[in-house]
Amino acid sequence: MDEYQTEDETAFVVEESVEAAIGGNAYQHSRVNQWTTSVVEQCLSQLSKLGKPFKYIVTCIIMQKNGAGLQTASACFWDNTTDGSCAVRWENKSMYCIVNVFGLSI
Amino acid sequence: MEEYHNGSEGSFNSEEADGIVKECIESVVGADDYSQSQVNKWTASIVERCLTQLVKQGKPYKYIVTCAVMQKTGAGLHTANSCYWDTAMDGSCTVRWENRTMYCVVSVFAVAIA
Repeated sequence: MDEYQTEDETAFVVEESVEAAIGGNAYQHSRVNQWTTSVVEQCLSQLSKLGKPFKYIVTCIIMQKNGAGLQTASACFWDNTTDGSCAVRWENKSMYCIVNVFGLSI
Repeated sequence: MEEYHNGSEGSFNSEEADGIVKECIESVVGADDYSQSQVNKWTASIVERCLTQLVKQGKPYKYIVTCAVMQKTGAGLHTANSCYWDTAMDGSCTVRWENRTMYCVVSVFAVAIA
């Protein structure tokens, strides 16, 4: 079984999941709760389908385009040789979507 | 069922982590107003400090700490997490903090080492 998972492979899976979940939509306060949930669930299910020996953590932030500043950071205490992460930034006319995937090898 | 264990092995103690994270946020941005030039430094400080305090506990976990700081301007912000792991041993904790000019959301994920 292939134990190696590249960042590109992960980024591709995530981009597809985000497009599928919120692709053609404009920011709507009443629906955004549903969207964040569906983005993380889609990503997670596509990643687990890859069948690699990893535990995953997927986080998603959706922010309305309003001129506000947003800064995010993350720090990880893990095994540098086997674990890794990937961040995907997506946007459309009315919102930003940032998805982070952390993969920890079993 | 109550999952709270004081310093013993088993599941992740999210109450303890919650306390540690709140302290770290307060010490880094407690008295400040949102400032675009400083925010980069703040998020980095918060995650590093939280990580250091968590690792000091000496438990057999790998940690991931994420922090988002957002200016208060009326914009909507939503975050969600989903995790594929061992639900008995692994756990997470999210802390939401705010002051007059900004919101800060910190999440800690702890994954047990086999």
